Amino acid sequence: MTWLVWRLHRTQLCIAAALLAALTVLLLVTGLQMASQYHSALAACGASGSCANLASTLFLGSHAVGFLVIMTLGVPALFGLFWGAPLVASELETGTSQFAWMQSVTRRRWLAVTAGEMLLAAAAWGGAVSGLVTWWSGPDNALQLDQFKPGRFDIMGIVPVGYALFAMALGLCAGALVRRTLPALAVTLAGFIVVRAAVTLWLRPHYLSAVTVTYKLFSGYTPTGSYWQLAQGIRSPGGGLVPAPNGAAVDGIPVGSLPRACAAAASGIRPGPSCRQALAAFHGFITYQPASRYWAFQGIEFGIFAALAAALIAVTAVVLLRRDA
Amino acid sequence: MIGVQAVPEVATAIRTSGLSKRYRRVCALSDCTITVPEGRISALVGPNGAGKTTLLRLLAGLTRPTGGDLIVNGGVPRQDPAFLAGIGYLAQEIPLYRRLSAEDHIRAGAHLNPCWDGESVRERLKALTIPLDRAVGTLSGGQHAQVALALTLAKRPRLLLLDEPVAALDPLARRNFLAILADAVAAGGLTVVLSSHLVADLERVCDHMIMLAASRVQLCGDIDALLAEHQVLVGPRKDTSAIERDHRVVLLSRTPRQVTMLVRRNGPVIDPAFQASDVSLEELVLAYMGQGAPPALTQLTSIGDDQ
Amino acid sequence: MGGRVISFRMDGRSVAPPYLQIVQQVKQALQMGVLDVGDKLPTVREVVAATAINPNTVLKAYRDLERDGLVEARAGHGTFVRRRLPGPPPGTHSRLGRSLVRWVAEARAAGLDDESMESLLRVALQAETEEEIA
Repeated sequence: MTWLVWRLHRTQLCIAAALLAALTVLLLVTGLQMASQYHSALAACGASGSCANLASTLFLGSHAVGFLVIMTLGVPALFGLFWGAPLVASELETGTSQFAWMQSVTRRRWLAVTAGEMLLAAAAWGGAVSGLVTWWSGPDNALQLDQFKPGRFDIMGIVPVGYALFAMALGLCAGALVRRTLPALAVTLAGFIVVRAAVTLWLRPHYLSAVTVTYKLFSGYTPTGSYWQLAQGIRSPGGGLVPAPNGAAVDGIPVGSLPRACAAAASGIRPGPSCRQALAAFHGFITYQPASRYWAFQGIEFGIFAALAAALIAVTAVVLLRRDA
Repeated sequence: MIGVQAVPEVATAIRTSGLSKRYRRVCALSDCTITVPEGRISALVGPNGAGKTTLLRLLAGLTRPTGGDLIVNGGVPRQDPAFLAGIGYLAQEIPLYRRLSAEDHIRAGAHLNPCWDGESVRERLKALTIPLDRAVGTLSGGQHAQVALALTLAKRPRLLLLDEPVAALDPLARRNFLAILADAVAAGGLTVVLSSHLVADLERVCDHMIMLAASRVQLCGDIDALLAEHQVLVGPRKDTSAIERDHRVVLLSRTPRQVTMLVRRNGPVIDPAFQASDVSLEELVLAYMGQGAPPALTQLTSIGDDQ
Repeated sequence: MGGRVISFRMDGRSVAPPYLQIVQQVKQALQMGVLDVGDKLPTVREVVAATAINPNTVLKAYRDLERDGLVEARAGHGTFVRRRLPGPPPGTHSRLGRSLVRWVAEARAAGLDDESMESLLRVALQAETEEEIA
């Protein structure tokens, strides 16, 4: 059975391996360049003492490669689209699954070997790409401290493996339910996008209760490391939220919300001591997920998608094993 | 001798009892009780929609019955490698991988089946001059069917179930297909159930028949015995209740002066008023399929119409 | 040792069933001298491969011939011709032919047409067969 799966899909598997090899070479070469670029910039700024601004002045690597790396966001979806859905759907559509079933292979074994190998391939490929991208992004992460943010979180660490498993399982399930290749592809793509978007936007911020810190306006506050900012703003003394400034502002407070003591400051004059005192009653707040929770979040999100994948495979098994051929 | 052959101790390849299959509101097969002894080539005949495909799929284990029992190759059909290895199933939509070659399929078979005779496939295809290394999708319909048959036979099944496999083939391809089939049975250890509309082919190669109509079994038995049991009786129009009481009248047609009957005899028909003649397989099949009077009967009734 | 001494031809439109056609063709070959004592008949598989008929049909025909003493089956080697089939003794055909002509005249006088007479003949043959079984 393994031989048959390999023989049927060897073209796709070879293409995938070639693409992976090309990506590996590209990222290895540019990654090493970026690393050395970063280290020499660090050495230079260390000597002159201007490292604080390094994040905004240094751009590592090239735009093209950077764009490509961002595009690896879509890689997991490809598994479902090019392997999962067509695999099962076309076999059911053309009836070729009957070939194996009538060659003394029970349906259970057919599904187990086919799905098992495809999931393994998806996890391996997804893991390889993710590993490469994580390594490649090392200097950039150290510089920008933004790996927790959506868009970067999704392409590094272990979550891409979870997405790949999910996409493959979704493709297999759609293929088994829909039984026609093109509709199954559509269902897989739509399902993948919807679920990924929903989890990123609505679930991920709440895996663990976010931390909120209020601080005096004058002191300001920046959490350490690669934190993920969820909300930030200023609260007036009464507790209400001060709207974001749109034009003239003093210390981040828009002119319309300034206390009376700062009326003069509104027109551009430096705030006097009474204004300062009034402003002290205002507080800034920041709601965020601390950097230390990065791997916890990676683990939770991986778990969610792995569980979804398992559920989809279970549904696929029920559909295929119970239904008539 | 056209005689009774069935011996109780002959092993049966198929035995069903009250078998039925219902899809939601449609009853595809009901109360099907048949026996197929081992070593037979059985013809499965009936009009479209009578349940032939359903019966074959039930026997192959591709679908589960909603009622009744069936024993195939001594066991109940189930998803089990040992059972699957004993069954060969070939449908009209032959499920071969179009992009793979015959040789690829042979190698796949070696990996998938516990018992596999790949050399027999190569020999058969070479004898038919079918290329082994071309994609199967590029072969003609007849060659496609031959490849599928050879692959199915290579797993050495005990029972072969064929669902109109020759319908789309030209006469020569059909002949070759049936010759290979008959040869495989001659080699021993194989029973075949073959569904087809081509009565001439069936007459040639089959020695057993299962006739389905309206999702029920109408006839099941050795063809020689079935033909011996039936007769066409033609005679002047008179009271036929005696005959109808003693024998089973399958087809009855009356003109003002003549009556024609196709009966299933329960013993000899001793009525000198009637001319008796043998029934051909085609007449028998048509009569039970209910598609109108067999050709011989049509001829006779038209004579009566002239008066 | 090729079994290609004779080959069989099935006539689809003949009223005789396939096995009977084989029996008849063997008997004709014997009468014409094409087959002689010691010749090997085609194997079941050879016949099946050439004609695509049921193997049991061939077996039944060969068994019939064996019962009539014309052939004998040697396990593992095949089926061989055992004796020649001479025609009936001279004069039999003409003698039987004459009595048949008398019978036909009698039947015609009684008002039977050709088909009725054929029907009677078939019933008689069948009754003889059924007597044999009984």
